[in-house]
Amino acid sequence: MDYGLRLLHVKIKGGIYLIIPSVTEEQNLVKELIDLSTRDRIRAIRELPMSFEEKKRIRWVMSSIKQCCRIILHQHILGCVCLCHSSARQTLELWQGVMKEIGGKFGSSVLSYFMFLKWLLMFNIFSFLVNFGFITIPLLVYDPLPNIPPNVSFRGLEILTGAGYFNYTVMYYGGYSNETLSGLVDYDMQLAYFFTIAVYMVLCGFALIFSMARSFQRNYILAEPASSCAWQLLCSWDFSITNEKAVRQRKSNLRESLSEKAQMKLLTLSEKLKHFAVHLGSWLLSTGLALGCGASIYYLCQYEQQVHSSMEGLTLLVPFVVSLINLVIPLFYSLFYKFEQYSSQRRQIYALVIRNVFLKMSILGVLCFYWMNVVAKKYSCWESMVGQSLYRLVIADFLFLMLGSFFGEFLSNVIGTRLIPRFGVPEFDIARNVLELIYAQTLAWIGIYFSPLLPAIQIVKFFILFYLKKVSLTQNCQPPRRTGRAAQMQTTFIALLFFPFFVGALSMVAYTAWRLAPSEQCGPFRGLNDTFSVVGVWIDDLEVIPGSQWVVWIYQNVIRSEIFYFLITVVTLVITYIFWQVIQGRKSLMNLLRQQIVNVSVFEEKRLLLMLFIERILFCTQHWVYSKYILL
Amino acid sequence: MGNKQTIFTDEQLDAYQDCTFFTRKEILRLHGRYHELAPHLVPMDYTNDPDCKLPLALIVNMPELKENPFRNRIVESFSEDGMGNLSFNEFVDMFSVLSETAPRELKAIYAFKIYDFNVDNYLCKEDLEKTLNKLTKEELTQEEVDLVCEKTIEEADLDGDNKLSFADFENMISRAPDFLSTFHIRI
Repeated sequence: MDYGLRLLHVKIKGGIYLIIPSVTEEQNLVKELIDLSTRDRIRAIRELPMSFEEKKRIRWVMSSIKQCCRIILHQHILGCVCLCHSSARQTLELWQGVMKEIGGKFGSSVLSYFMFLKWLLMFNIFSFLVNFGFITIPLLVYDPLPNIPPNVSFRGLEILTGAGYFNYTVMYYGGYSNETLSGLVDYDMQLAYFFTIAVYMVLCGFALIFSMARSFQRNYILAEPASSCAWQLLCSWDFSITNEKAVRQRKSNLRESLSEKAQMKLLTLSEKLKHFAVHLGSWLLSTGLALGCGASIYYLCQYEQQVHSSMEGLTLLVPFVVSLINLVIPLFYSLFYKFEQYSSQRRQIYALVIRNVFLKMSILGVLCFYWMNVVAKKYSCWESMVGQSLYRLVIADFLFLMLGSFFGEFLSNVIGTRLIPRFGVPEFDIARNVLELIYAQTLAWIGIYFSPLLPAIQIVKFFILFYLKKVSLTQNCQPPRRTGRAAQMQTTFIALLFFPFFVGALSMVAYTAWRLAPSEQCGPFRGLNDTFSVVGVWIDDLEVIPGSQWVVWIYQNVIRSEIFYFLITVVTLVITYIFWQVIQGRKSLMNLLRQQIVNVSVFEEKRLLLMLFIERILFCTQHWVYSKYILL
Repeated sequence: MGNKQTIFTDEQLDAYQDCTFFTRKEILRLHGRYHELAPHLVPMDYTNDPDCKLPLALIVNMPELKENPFRNRIVESFSEDGMGNLSFNEFVDMFSVLSETAPRELKAIYAFKIYDFNVDNYLCKEDLEKTLNKLTKEELTQEEVDLVCEKTIEEADLDGDNKLSFADFENMISRAPDFLSTFHIRI
């Protein structure tokens, strides 16, 4: 939105800063503004670096020029409509006021957690609407009463275990039929189920890739390194913090960080070796812990299967142990900072994040392996069993998240203020909380294939979690002591959400659909060899219908042919190489331009000095001639 | 809209809406805040553009500005006389630039003004020293202050004149993606 405003130089008027365009500059400005639409013109006027009086004048000039045309009335109405629309959108936007309050008291890095939560909630709302609309509603319209065997009734325990009464409803994969529902239109349930889930996953993938790339470009490539003094001095102060204690804390942290930088200590060799040994030890310990937890979950699953008593409560054992591990071990990892020394706080956060990610991946990996290799071969309606396991995991995760808030924040506050004052009031641990959100969302993504209505539970969970965390934050925590690079952490979290978590969930669902035989007795894919053959069957049906030959052609020659994928890969690699060369060229151009700036300014200085010098000589000559003349 | 308010004429509200980043409701709320700073000085009727300025001391006591280390410089940068006396238009201007929707270029211009303590169009070493002292409660030693200011100039100065011009400052701001969210005061 430049509109040539760079031409408006900052003029100093009597030592006071006022940007007043000269007459010609004003004419240029008016000429530029007159060609824009009303909305763009209003936006351009708002962005002018002038005082309000000047902007009002420009606006008055523009409106008196435009007054002759009647279009102004129409466009003003349109402008009003746009503003109405934007203010209506503001009131409808979820949690706007709460976010402002949190941002004002705790800063933008804590706010990024809540915005991430809101973003994930949108994924789940979309998923629920899509699944409910395309899969569940047609089935409910066709067959409203679920066919439950006569001896099963609703007890309260189903809410926790997901088994029993729920097993026969549309909650799980097993409750869906494989027929073509006849009604107003012929609705093929198999195709609907397959394509709904596939399209949703693909759209999620695109949304994640897109936001990850955009965030990466803005916050990493174009960004100043966090360690630079200039950034810390001029860009890091958060003007929106109004709390006196928070301001005092930030000031003292900035002072600490700057004075650390000013006295950069060099380590001796023995200190370096000691640090290296400590790092190695702690990484070995954390990796070992993660692998150990994975193995113990596997053995626990096997034990549960062997025992397999009629006690339904035993099915809750594995989810509770998983959630307990997810609660306790990250807290344990957070304690590592007491003896592990990292060169910067950012590295410490990244190390913590990597350890937690590894722990969660190993647990999820073990569970998926168990489901696909053991459960799929043993049970008759195994998809519903997996769906129930996931349901139990989600519920247990929710309960333990609430417990975690209690331990992580409330108890820490009590301990820190009353029992051991040395610890102080706890801070809101953003990394740990965001990873819990990512884990919860991964469970939902894995579960969509096995339990299409799982997003509904997730929506309720996230809603309650938002308010719970907000209350816990305001009651128990203090604002973060260091000004973190919130934007870069945000990029890291989105990247983590995509890979390994989303990719892992997608691979698991894809493997299930591709390799595992669907169960014979229940679900929409019964009777087929694997889920993907649904598409093959549909294509075979389409072949007899005239006018849809192009779909069949695309399927056979594009989707099923290997040459197509090979060509796509080669083309992508070539384009990537070309872009890489362009980037290298741009980097060297940037260096050249920087050097030119220095050269130009040196040249300007020399020119000015030369002119001053010439002026001086002329003055002296004039003076000499004049004095000679007077003497004469 | 439907509400009958008598503080501003409709044309005035339209002008405010078009020239600042606030809606009509927010302008009226701002007027309420401006009025409660000095209820006997600020008239409730602004339809004939009264010439009323509030002194610096009243404005920096607002809760949004009270704890800000740069509160005096912020108010001075937006006042026409450079002494910090703000009329209502300048008050609105100030919070408009500091609002969420103002673009980065506009914020960079005013941030530069705020940090330029001696108003000479450059951020020289003295300006940076004063900024640093305001941010650290003057608890760094003189050597540390010198070192930090020298490193800052070294990192950000592009044209080699040992002080930061607006172009240098803007170049640095464009590479700080957090700037839009940190240079922001909610009202």
